[in-house]
Amino acid sequence: MTDAEIVAALAEARKAAAEVPERIREIGRAAYAWRTVDAELAALSADTDTPVGTRAEPAAVRALTFAARDLTIEVELTDDALHGQVVPPRPGEIELRDRSGVVAVAQVDELGWFVLGPIPRGMFRLHLRAGDAVVVTEWITI
Amino acid sequence: MRDDPSVVDLVVRARHGDARAWDALVDRYAPLVWAICRRFGLGGADAEDVAASVWLRLVERLDTIREPAALPGWLATTVRRECLTALRGRRHQVPVGDESNLDSVDDPAFEELLLAQERHIALRAAFENLPEHCRHLLTLLFDDPPAPYAQISSSTGTPIGAIGPTRRRCLDRLRRDPALAAVAGVEQS
Repeated sequence: MTDAEIVAALAEARKAAAEVPERIREIGRAAYAWRTVDAELAALSADTDTPVGTRAEPAAVRALTFAARDLTIEVELTDDALHGQVVPPRPGEIELRDRSGVVAVAQVDELGWFVLGPIPRGMFRLHLRAGDAVVVTEWITI
Repeated sequence: MRDDPSVVDLVVRARHGDARAWDALVDRYAPLVWAICRRFGLGGADAEDVAASVWLRLVERLDTIREPAALPGWLATTVRRECLTALRGRRHQVPVGDESNLDSVDDPAFEELLLAQERHIALRAAFENLPEHCRHLLTLLFDDPPAPYAQISSSTGTPIGAIGPTRRRCLDRLRRDPALAAVAGVEQS
């Protein structure tokens, strides 16, 4: 690159940064407050966004798997609820959280099963407390 | 995509609770997030939703990022996925055009956008590392057309005859910045 080219490239790079709406940065700075340091993150390891049923019954069930070190949380999303299981099974308490906070709480039974609902629009995540384990899933967007 | 060593430092500091390091990461990558949103035709509230989701995912990934250098690539993939989700949601209300090319994994135009963004990020980072007098001088030269030397001279206190050599020294310094070392094509030609 010649000096003139590098000056032009710099000018373009700085112009691109100046064009970013301030809201995009504000939202970014605010996101840091959501940092969870007390819970282990369960990463999304499978997402089968697969339509099931016949053509006459076009209900779509989305199945998600979140993997933490010692357990996984499997969930199925239907139109009105979230059905899930903690594997290996262990009883506990699970919360549905959106960006505003906790929106639903359910007990996880001896077989690891739980039902949460209704499913919020937009982003949400699950927060599980079962025995010694405190696990939070990645954010899910519907 | 590669990234310069200062990102490693920012990620480590943000991981240990330094909010200013996090803000610096946001500043650094906000243009990448925005550029991809624009590429998918998203702006306003749609782009803000995408950004919110991407930043939250990045926050929770802080502890598990092993290769901070891979961050731009991870961000780009995540922004793209969130844009596609936003477009799917919108499709229920408003028909959108043919998205098949947007969905494609091997999208040369998208790769090109990423490379351009990577270069922008490195250039801005290197610029920020320059001494104040260099940044001031170069900013005056960014104007299109560039400010006349007489004006630059009075604004910077640099004699007219020294502007050219100073500019060259500043640009050489910029080229040597480690942030730019990872980006091909900036060597002096």
